[in-house]
Amino acid sequence: MQADDLALALLVLACAGMRGAGLLVAGRLAPDHPFVRWAASVSLATLAAFVTLAVVAPTGALALIPLAGRLMGLGAALAVLAWRGGLLAPLLAGLAGTLLGSVLG
Amino acid sequence: MPRAGMREALGAPALAMAATFLAFGAAVQAAGVGLGWALAASLLVYGMPGQMVLLAAIGTPGGALAAVPGAVAANARFVPMAVALAPWLGGGRGRWLALPFIAVTPWAMAMRRLPALPARARLPWFLGFALTSWGVAGLSTAGGHALAPLLPLWVLAALLFVNPLYFGLIIASEARAPFVRRAVLLGALATPLALLLPPAIALLGAGLAGGTLAFLWGRRAGG
Repeated sequence: MQADDLALALLVLACAGMRGAGLLVAGRLAPDHPFVRWAASVSLATLAAFVTLAVVAPTGALALIPLAGRLMGLGAALAVLAWRGGLLAPLLAGLAGTLLGSVLG
Repeated sequence: MPRAGMREALGAPALAMAATFLAFGAAVQAAGVGLGWALAASLLVYGMPGQMVLLAAIGTPGGALAAVPGAVAANARFVPMAVALAPWLGGGRGRWLALPFIAVTPWAMAMRRLPALPARARLPWFLGFALTSWGVAGLSTAGGHALAPLLPLWVLAALLFVNPLYFGLIIASEARAPFVRRAVLLGALATPLALLLPPAIALLGAGLAGGTLAFLWGRRAGG
């Protein structure tokens, strides 16, 4: 087995272990148990930090999109969400806004 | 009920998954790595930050093996997500079927839908949604690997940005609930912390800080 394949196998095992640990610990807890509520709060906060980072201080390929494109994309997505709800139309609007903002920016 | 989950997965979630995994497949091809590795990463790791950390390390002096701890840390959010999801999947052994599919997209949609479903319908809904999303991820990875030479860098960047847009929409559409609003607000405010921490633990560190403060705020507020 090559080093890249071994690294991937180790990551696969670790991810299964992390998922399994969560299922094992919380499988018999009620949804409103404080530990479950705390875990949900941490997950949501992590998601919010991920989105904020991607818009404000992206790294890698995302950094190729100008700030104007990222802001217009998010703004268009949220505007369509507030206007007509759903997820697909706001997502398409966000993608269009990103491309438009990238061209203009 | 699996069909309800499958139908829901084929809307905006499929677009977000397809865009992200297409970009990943293209990045793997650009790094000179084979389709088998790309598919194994997408379908068995099924957690994009860890996948990207490992991919970025291939060909570097330390190699991918040295990057494994960082990739594990980048996907460590699986633990709190599984904890938050587990009670909605029932206490029986059936919940272990969900194990390979606990990832941001199925988790986020499940936390919206499962509380409103009857208890016996929750696991089938989750499996229907998750299997469909997983299939989209695999197909898109293969598609990205095949199409890589045709995709300019700016298209890949725009495709990758669909993912944070989608998650932004999910949390915005749920932000009416005070519990969600507190976690999102403090998670966003904790983001500068992510810029100070080592990249592999940056997001989780911000999430732990923001999420714990939001939880304590909620306990004080009584909700």
